[in-house]
Amino acid sequence: MLHYRTQGYNGCAVKYSPFFDNRLAVASSSNFGLVGNGRLHILELTANGIQPLKWFTTQDSLYDLAWSEIHENQVLAASGDGSIKLFDCTANDFPISNWKEHAREVFSVSWNPVAKDRFCSSSWDGTVRIWSPHRPQSLLTLPTHSCTYSASFCPHSPDIISCVTSDSYVRVFDLRTPASASNHLVTQIPIHAGPPAPAIPGQPGGPAPPAEALTHDWNKYRPTVLATAGVDRAIRTFDIRAPQQGPLSTMLGHEYAVRKLAWSPHLSNVLLSASYDMTCRVWSDRSDVAGGDMDMMRAGPVVGAELGRMGRHTEFVTGVDWCLFGSEGWCASVGWDENLYVWDVRATMS
Amino acid sequence: MSSPQQRLNSVANQLAPGSARQKILAKNPDDVVITYLARTPLTKARKGGLKDTTVDDLLISLLTTVREKSNLDPNLVEDVCVGNVLCPGSAYVARSAVLAAGYPVTAAASIANRFCSSGLLAVQNIANQIIAGSIDVGVAVGAESMSKNADGGAPEMSERITKHPIASQNSQPMGQTSENVANQFNISREQHDRFAANSFQKAERAQKAGWLEDEIVPVRTQIKDPKTGEVKDIVVVRDDGIRYGTTPESLGKVRAAFPQWAPSATTGGNASQITDGAAALVLMKRSRAQQLGQPIVAKFCGATVSGLEPRIMGIGPSLAIPKILSKFNLSKDDIDIFEINEAFSSMGVYCVNKLGLDESKVNPRGGAIAFGHPLGATGARQVVTALSELRRQDKRVAVTSMCVGTGMGMAGIFVSEH
Repeated sequence: MLHYRTQGYNGCAVKYSPFFDNRLAVASSSNFGLVGNGRLHILELTANGIQPLKWFTTQDSLYDLAWSEIHENQVLAASGDGSIKLFDCTANDFPISNWKEHAREVFSVSWNPVAKDRFCSSSWDGTVRIWSPHRPQSLLTLPTHSCTYSASFCPHSPDIISCVTSDSYVRVFDLRTPASASNHLVTQIPIHAGPPAPAIPGQPGGPAPPAEALTHDWNKYRPTVLATAGVDRAIRTFDIRAPQQGPLSTMLGHEYAVRKLAWSPHLSNVLLSASYDMTCRVWSDRSDVAGGDMDMMRAGPVVGAELGRMGRHTEFVTGVDWCLFGSEGWCASVGWDENLYVWDVRATMS
Repeated sequence: MSSPQQRLNSVANQLAPGSARQKILAKNPDDVVITYLARTPLTKARKGGLKDTTVDDLLISLLTTVREKSNLDPNLVEDVCVGNVLCPGSAYVARSAVLAAGYPVTAAASIANRFCSSGLLAVQNIANQIIAGSIDVGVAVGAESMSKNADGGAPEMSERITKHPIASQNSQPMGQTSENVANQFNISREQHDRFAANSFQKAERAQKAGWLEDEIVPVRTQIKDPKTGEVKDIVVVRDDGIRYGTTPESLGKVRAAFPQWAPSATTGGNASQITDGAAALVLMKRSRAQQLGQPIVAKFCGATVSGLEPRIMGIGPSLAIPKILSKFNLSKDDIDIFEINEAFSSMGVYCVNKLGLDESKVNPRGGAIAFGHPLGATGARQVVTALSELRRQDKRVAVTSMCVGTGMGMAGIFVSEH
């Protein structure tokens, strides 16, 4: 396990570079993101452990980051002052671009992995915005009317974008639909609602009270499946083809809110989570044994299995990401304890 | 951008999400709050102290009191919504009364009428305007003179209505709908009288203990002696409908008001009284109130309405109350006081039983059976009563609700911030 201390700054998000197998970035904030500066760390894995390549300090907290998919040295950062900043590792001190349209804190940024000239952002101001790195203004605004903690492009289609909000809904937008009163919204799934059939006694997955959704991620192999999690501590997977069916699977175990989810880039059933309970957990949604998504839907939500647990953090864990390169299983996690750990999930599995 | 405190609250809520009750108790800058509220005394129509006072004068008296007592610059009041059911030309009266009460020409006025819920509808209208950013400060009023504007019932309506199986029910008088409720849900005359006597006894206790003085502002008006025709100036200061010493037995002797409709369980003693009165609330956002240094009395959380068959309109609260509770994820145990308008004992008994309410939480100061139901005023009057009682009991959350003629129920949630 490798370790780096983001001295004086509490980690908020971590991402591996899609271009270099040894480079990662951490978005962090002083004073737990409540007040004060932010700092974007660019780090390299070397024979001598994790070494800082560069850092950029900002006026306000940084809550998320996304590596550019078209330029290996560029990283986006989501700022508490409502701005999105593009930094270049070869330039010093200041961002090379700055976009300021959100009226409140930006909580997530995500680069489109298919149409690589676009990225999106989501904010406390109740909007998701779509941007081009070459344009000074946003291309499109998608209203959610609710604090939007996470927005993401679908990795399988350039025009599908999803988000989760504090009103406990997943929204899926399809930009190919005509601009109309629905603002490209094609699917809206209540995360808290249970399956339509009466729940089997003793089985989780029935209707629950709405709770703020904090994170979600698209499965990298099953184009219609995404996972959500948030304040109610449950991780759920949904198939966007069947929004009324309720969750495909549920994964229960975290003792506090789940802050970040990431599907494995190598295995279609494996998921990593980071929680305020100071642990990272590895899960299987058991789609590998249940015989495919359609079977899972018919039988009601499957209860996923916890495969492993990492408990080195001593404060809220706020970010996790999988390494895309090399042998499957390497990942990075950051938290409010100012620690970045790079570790192999296989070492946590019994 | 958000303050550090707001950022901290947002993380704290992720960590330990508050209960639904904690959520409505939370104080946010964009809450719609009440900074001043009061009501006039409620007096018997055609007999009480307000019998010769028109709605115009009632409104002028109350709005003048609001202007003087609220310590709010009248230039800041942008709109006044008056809940009123019976007064012809009420839109003329509302705007004129606002001006005559000393508000500048910039203060607009409008009328809200959804029968017995008009007062609450006025609150909702003003609150919605504030939420939408149309106005910053508004006054919601409910006012009715049943002495001067008698309730003539439904007008002549087209044949397509009178031949329609459901729409035609709207020509039924309210008394008939009360008997329909008693008949359909088997509510006995004894249950009616017990409910009504309970209302009188609670109101008697409240009046004798002086609790109602916290709600009431006096009305300076004139009264005409029916025998001599002499007109004299008076100040009306108290409710006059509360009959002391009322028991179920004494109410049992009152004869049926509607012998033509079975089961004829409704009487003049166990139905709401015909009454004059008014109530008013000053509303604005919390941030505006803090900016102006106005005292924050309570918070308006929201209101809703639901419809049902007109022939049993009385049971409207049994639909509207669960609806408003579900909108806020609240259960009935989260509520400290239910202020349900007692249009008739039949609907009162039904709603309390149907919703399984703790009787000690329902109308702790009595209701319209004891001190009257001035149609347009009631919705606003109930808010004044409920918030005053929350202050006395040191409790927080009240639901107000009422049945509405033509088959509806409305309900709202208020949080006291005493």
